Amino acid sequence: MNLLTLSNTGFIVAIFGYIFSFVAFVIAITGQRFSKGDVITHTKRWSRRGIALTFFGLAAHLTYFISRWIYNHYPNSNLFEFMAMLAMLITVAFIVLYMIFKSPYLGAFAMPISFFMMAYASVFPWETKPLIPALQSVWLYVHVTTAALGEAFFAIGFAAGLMFLLRTINYHSKEKKDIKEQRGMELVMISFVIFLGFIIAVFGFRATGYEAKFIASPVASLSESAATEEIIYNLPPIFSPTGGKLVAMDSFLGIDKPVMESPSFFKGVNAARKLNTVVWSLFVGFVLYIVLRLLVRKPLGLTLQPLVRGLNPEDLDEISYRSIAIGYPIFTLGALIFAMIWAEIAWSRFWGWDPKEVWALISWLFYSFYLHVRLSRGWQGSYSSWLAVIGFIVIMFTLIGVNLVIAGLHSYAGV
Amino acid sequence: MIDNTKCECGHQNPVDTILCESCGKPLDPNDTLEDMTLPLEMRYDGVARRSQKANPNVLDRIWNFFSSVKVAIYLILITLIVSSLGTIYPQQSMFIGKMDFDTYYKENYGWTGSVYHFLGLSNTYDSWWFRGLLVMIGASLIICSLDRILPLYRALSKRAIRKHPTFLLRQRLRLDTQTIQGENISNFVPLLEKRNYRVYQEEGVLLAEKNRFSRWGPYINHIGLIIFLIACLLRSMFAYSLDFYAVQEGETKPIADTGYYMKNEDFNVTLHPDGKTVKAYVTKSILYKCVDNCDSPGKLPELKEVARHDIRINDPLKYRDLSLFNVDYDVTPSIIGANVQLTNLVTNAGIGKFKIDLFKPQEQYKVKDYVLDVMAYYPEVDLKDGKFFTKSTQPKAPAFVFLIKGPDMPAEGQVYLYFIRPIDKATYNQDLINERTGSKVKLEIGNMQDVSISEYTTYFNVTKDRTMPYIWVGAAISMIGLIMGFYWHHRRIWIQIEQGRLLLGAHTNKNWYGFRKEIAAVLNQSGVIQPLDDQQLINEVKQS
Ligand code: HEM
Repeated sequence: MNLLTLSNTGFIVAIFGYIFSFVAFVIAITGQRFSKGDVITHTKRWSRRGIALTFFGLAAHLTYFISRWIYNHYPNSNLFEFMAMLAMLITVAFIVLYMIFKSPYLGAFAMPISFFMMAYASVFPWETKPLIPALQSVWLYVHVTTAALGEAFFAIGFAAGLMFLLRTINYHSKEKKDIKEQRGMELVMISFVIFLGFIIAVFGFRATGYEAKFIASPVASLSESAATEEIIYNLPPIFSPTGGKLVAMDSFLGIDKPVMESPSFFKGVNAARKLNTVVWSLFVGFVLYIVLRLLVRKPLGLTLQPLVRGLNPEDLDEISYRSIAIGYPIFTLGALIFAMIWAEIAWSRFWGWDPKEVWALISWLFYSFYLHVRLSRGWQGSYSSWLAVIGFIVIMFTLIGVNLVIAGLHSYAGV
Repeated sequence: MIDNTKCECGHQNPVDTILCESCGKPLDPNDTLEDMTLPLEMRYDGVARRSQKANPNVLDRIWNFFSSVKVAIYLILITLIVSSLGTIYPQQSMFIGKMDFDTYYKENYGWTGSVYHFLGLSNTYDSWWFRGLLVMIGASLIICSLDRILPLYRALSKRAIRKHPTFLLRQRLRLDTQTIQGENISNFVPLLEKRNYRVYQEEGVLLAEKNRFSRWGPYINHIGLIIFLIACLLRSMFAYSLDFYAVQEGETKPIADTGYYMKNEDFNVTLHPDGKTVKAYVTKSILYKCVDNCDSPGKLPELKEVARHDIRINDPLKYRDLSLFNVDYDVTPSIIGANVQLTNLVTNAGIGKFKIDLFKPQEQYKVKDYVLDVMAYYPEVDLKDGKFFTKSTQPKAPAFVFLIKGPDMPAEGQVYLYFIRPIDKATYNQDLINERTGSKVKLEIGNMQDVSISEYTTYFNVTKDRTMPYIWVGAAISMIGLIMGFYWHHRRIWIQIEQGRLLLGAHTNKNWYGFRKEIAAVLNQSGVIQPLDDQQLINEVKQS
């Protein structure tokens, strides 16, 4: 078996390891119904299985990581590799928090973040590419890895914050504040389903081998070989590239022409394709959401609520805060200080106000805001859990949204 | 809406402190002092803190404004929002050179772009208002530190061991229970010391404390941030920087306003095996300092080599406070030197060769008995109104006017026009002009080996500033503060045993969960009381 196959196998095994550990944790917390014996031993036994499976998944994930590193270079050069690493570090952060709090509930909420992150990663091209000179710096790897570790702790803080909210939101109240919280939670759920929608749409059409081909309009293209730039869609084009010419298109449900041209302010060869992907994700996400709502016949937040019944909200608040408090110095070091060191060496300026940099700063300011707000009375618990949730959304925007929406020095190629 | 947990005495208490750590006053404003008799030694009777002064004057008001955490929170929030607005469209600073930004934003982004530009958001990070926000955060950091460090020091160094029982029972973690055996409070000492507590004892009472230093973490972090911000401010005012300073292979070029010159000796690119992606590029460079004739036109500056380095991406040349970074390169093939052959036109016999450095030609060349004075040199020759002039200092189309003296030549010498590139030779009719003056000699280049070609131009960013070390020092101090504050937690436990009754109060600034488990473990191991669950320590009547 060559290194690359080993690596890819490790990746797949890790996903399943995480899924099984998730299942074990869920059995641990809901198992009262299945278990014949005593609840505490049941929870203990399945928690132990859960964490063992987590370690197993992590070992596979490390196999992926290390063999890919040996095979080529430090696996951190494209979005696939970065996301895969982030998922690995989220598992590490979960293990750290699990060691402190021994909560199987946390496993049930944290493990899905890991494996969905991996599913998300695997959407992007897997192949390794040679590195351009600016990326060949040890500091770059140190910077990205440390920043990702900080972000991983924020992810766990997010999971625990979400648990706090699920635990405390009053679904039977019609008070303004409670209604607001119910809606907020449903919005989080919808975002999550849309994220799933993206993965499903991409994999679904990939399985059918769907393809549509355009030639970019010379104006839209930024590269020099403008005339011949091809744009390939793997999702049926709802939006065709502005001024692009259709070359070939597989028909989808009898539709063999793009529905409309994307608005002209979508510039750059990939902008229209990204727009198309976003629209598809929204579409699939909403359909999925409606199906789920029809199945359970109540808000998704309320559906999940029984999972966390019986937990002490203060402990959840504490877990969330602890995780963020552990992550904050690491994030500061990785996303700001190491980034500055690298930028100083590579670009001669430790800070250049590149969008990605600015968003790292915004994330950091956001968590600084969170920490200061917690110094005030009445802001722990519900408010700070909302901040933990929003903070993670800010992080995800920094990692993905900025590349999708704003292009800068750090751009990776994307779907 | 944001409620302060700063006590009247000025001490910043962690949230959920029920009694001020410094003065012991109940923090809930509805809680009156009458409810409890406070032990005298807890009352903080120090100098009134500046931010707590009654009848504040203008200066006090400014001081109060900046020392408030609430204001800090808003400042951070505003900075965050403004920063994000700056990322909507590209910033002006992303473009090199002069541009008409009015039209740029309008044409590319429509009316929203126009508004964006009009509001100054296209230059967010260099704007006075953004700088102003950072300065305000800096001021707030300085003032809040000055305002709090002393009270914190007092609060922390005051270690009254015997507290009023109410003080213990109103802590967030507390216990009031009967002992089952071992009235002796010393039973706890080894257990606590094993967990790295420092234990202070008095008759029947005990205070165990650990990691007090961690309380300094936030302040050290803030001091680091202050240093960092000041260094950034100084840098933005005084640092020298020169972007896209282009030096051709073979060229020695002054670095404007610095007194330094740099030579690009050689440039090389390597590609990845795919033959397309650039793997690395390196510029062999020499840095010179000008020691004489630096500003006198007409005279060649005298240069002294001070540093030499192979500059790569991620590996700049550094000399003192000057740094040179490779940022880009271009393929710009051009002639930079020539080995010119002098030929006698009459006998058609070669006389000899001489070498011209096209970046730095000599004033005079000698070949055997011939002397060639350089009367004029046009690195990039062009013709305007019947006169030659040069378009740049780059030897893109080098041309010379020589005055040649020698055997068989007129004593006052003969003017000879010489173009290096064959194409210019033809364009300007070199041979025809020289024939007219009746030249007896001829200059030419034999073959390709006689010309040196420069293939590349390297672009450098040059920076010269002294503030970088302070920026790193600030960042490092900040980091140390963060680590102190976040990975260690200040924990204090007060225990009193009196006539079979055990009272316990405990306080920490972070990680209550771990603390609770720790206390429960100590209590259970001591065997002094009935085993308990850590949940029993939680103070139910916690007020919020
Ligand atoms: C970008 C700027 C700032 C950053 C990154 C920052 C960071 C921090 C951090 C990490 C903590 C520790 C929080 C915790 O222990 O949970 C902290 C605490 C604190 N900060 Fe800031 N801070 C900033 C600005 C300010 C400003 C402007 C003020 C001025 C009022 C301020 C006042 C405080 C106070 C009073 C504390 C609590 C100290 C204690 O626990 O004794 N901070 N800050």
